Amino acid sequence: MSAIPQQRRYKLTDEVDFLIIGCGASGSVLARELSQSGLSVVALEQGPWLDRKQFTHDEYRVQAQSLLTNNPQKQPTTFRKTPKDKAVKQPAFVYGRMVGGGTVHFTANFWRFHEIDFIEASKKGTIPGTGFADWPITYADMEPYYTKAEWDLGVSGQAGVSPFDPPRSKPYPLPPLPVKSSGVLFEQAARKLGYHPFPAPMAVISQSYQGRLPCAHCGFCAGFGCEMGAKSSPLPSMIPQAVATGRCEIRPHSYVRKIELNAKGRAIGAVYIDQSGKENLQRAKAVIVSSNGAETPRLLLLSKSSQFPQGLANSSGLVGKYLMFNTFSIAGGTFEHPLNEYKSVEVTRILQDFYELDPKLGFYGGGGMDARFLWNPISFAVAGLPPQGPQWGSEYKKALQKNFTRSMYLAGHGTSLPLEDNSISLDDTVKDAWGLPAMRVTYKDHPDDLKTQHYFNDRAMEILEAAGAQERWKYPVEESTFAYHLLGTCRMGKDPKSSVIDADHRTHDVANLFLCDGSSFVTSGRGQPTETIQALAFRAADRITSLAKKGEV
Amino acid sequence: MDSTRRTFLAQAAASLGLLYLSGLTPELLAQAHEHAKTAPRNLEGQPFRYFTAQQAADYEAFASQIIPTDETPGAKEANVVRFVDFALSEIEPQNKTDFANALKALNEQARKTAPQEASFAALTSAQQVETMKAMEKSGDFSILKNYTLIGFFGDPADGGNKDQIGWKLIGFEDKFYYAPPFGYYDAQAMKERA
Repeated sequence: MSAIPQQRRYKLTDEVDFLIIGCGASGSVLARELSQSGLSVVALEQGPWLDRKQFTHDEYRVQAQSLLTNNPQKQPTTFRKTPKDKAVKQPAFVYGRMVGGGTVHFTANFWRFHEIDFIEASKKGTIPGTGFADWPITYADMEPYYTKAEWDLGVSGQAGVSPFDPPRSKPYPLPPLPVKSSGVLFEQAARKLGYHPFPAPMAVISQSYQGRLPCAHCGFCAGFGCEMGAKSSPLPSMIPQAVATGRCEIRPHSYVRKIELNAKGRAIGAVYIDQSGKENLQRAKAVIVSSNGAETPRLLLLSKSSQFPQGLANSSGLVGKYLMFNTFSIAGGTFEHPLNEYKSVEVTRILQDFYELDPKLGFYGGGGMDARFLWNPISFAVAGLPPQGPQWGSEYKKALQKNFTRSMYLAGHGTSLPLEDNSISLDDTVKDAWGLPAMRVTYKDHPDDLKTQHYFNDRAMEILEAAGAQERWKYPVEESTFAYHLLGTCRMGKDPKSSVIDADHRTHDVANLFLCDGSSFVTSGRGQPTETIQALAFRAADRITSLAKKGEV
Repeated sequence: MDSTRRTFLAQAAASLGLLYLSGLTPELLAQAHEHAKTAPRNLEGQPFRYFTAQQAADYEAFASQIIPTDETPGAKEANVVRFVDFALSEIEPQNKTDFANALKALNEQARKTAPQEASFAALTSAQQVETMKAMEKSGDFSILKNYTLIGFFGDPADGGNKDQIGWKLIGFEDKFYYAPPFGYYDAQAMKERA
């Protein structure tokens, strides 16, 4: 299944200006920005290049066949809680494995970070036993790129409503999507309790934008590709624009196994396995890895050599470390009348009153909350009802019948502290379908991250009560064993001893090797990393272009 | 264009008033959704590819306890067994062994409930419920139950959810497009604003 349009083709021996590895949230942005700046680009993507006409609503098949995501059959992972435990083979995360990456199937929550997210350690003090640190860049550095991300990708929202919103140079390009019943109930209840709910910023276009069709409210966002092209993933925006420059080739089904260096320690390109199983070396003057917070460190670890025996660009020993997942807590409620939450986007109202929790509570944490629906029909039947009620039989069937249209959920999205033991490493005992070592995930939430989730669930229960929910329930808070957000594994910083890349996304160790994706994060932010990943990519593109034009790459 | 799609497009065109505001027209919607719907798959009357007749009978009995046929149709009428036979043959062959082991575990538990009976399907309904309660926390039970739910609530394109029995039960329509208001409370809010 592939829908590759006419595009510029490069030969393997063509030394392109930039080879980008990974064509998702950040790689697509870099491909478009660099090629529009006049640079030649090859972007390698391990997954397929699908067209929106290939997306369906088949809830079972999309998941069972990993149509949009990494395939646990072909790409096994192992998991353990601490380095002392034996890692067990089990799926540990899901990521987008296609041109466009995870933004093709994401929920489309599109939150900026706030000022505090970049400078927390200096404001709040370090936290013993953690790698809590400031970023080498600030919100002010990022603001123009948040704005660019919102306008170039197409984001619906309403600026100036939340008193907690960080300063912005421009409003959202599109008005908010129509409010759903969950948004109305949440907004009324939250206001009653003195909070400040506001329209959710969503990377879904509420009106036609840049020649793209708007949202038709079909309700299949999270987990699905948008058949309208209304979800603002790079697939309908960055990718065609990159191709249109005539300087960018997007090469799907290209699974990179090693970045090659020359004797001087400069990257000369990357070896990838194509769809036929053949190995190729694509030459380039510089390499950017944008393969996500799991695959980027893995590729560096796979690229070890005599020059870099513990992994490429890993003189700090930190490649793969400080993995952060973001916390996610959920409470549910049922209501007297139908909400029909299966229609339209998952989220229409959020609040950020708990962005920074009071240190007097005795733990570090904070985040945002949204009102949403989490399910399609199958997943609702599996997990949408209160866990204490009947789970099969006639009573269960009646509960499904009554509550599918009458349920809503409040989700808390919060901080994860960076811990050195939490990591991506290679597991030499398990191989993937290409014979390469599988990823081993080591992860145990910091106790404060669990306390944050309990705090959010308690507030969610109060809001559900104020909203008049008939039944209310919390889903249990448990230590994470599976992730949707993959952050922090090649952190950005000034000191080569305590970070992997500098503020320009250049690795401290290899002058023409750059990393840009969720792995660049220093701290986790508040649960919605995608806009920051993409704003980082817009900023990195500016920095890298300027270095390239000065001959400093 | 099949008749379902034609009906869908006609419905879309009829209630498009609000959507015009967002720039959508019936023509644009029609183009966008031309590809996205797939026809239901009817496997009735065909020989089983994965199940033996005995396994099919045992699994149908199990699925009918998960989603019984009562005032409304249940797993049996939705062709859940047909779906699972198709899914394990075509979509997830890697799960064949786990599923077979789970069915075996069900029958072993059934023999503990009623040693004289040949298999789960032969038990009385009360005995079946007793058997299932004894194993409802197990991974085997989850495998068997989840496939019932997928067959009952999944896309009819995969051979289950016959006539959208599952979707009709819970009030889900896969219409590909909706206009606000979506539910009772946003409709109320809309009225108050007006």
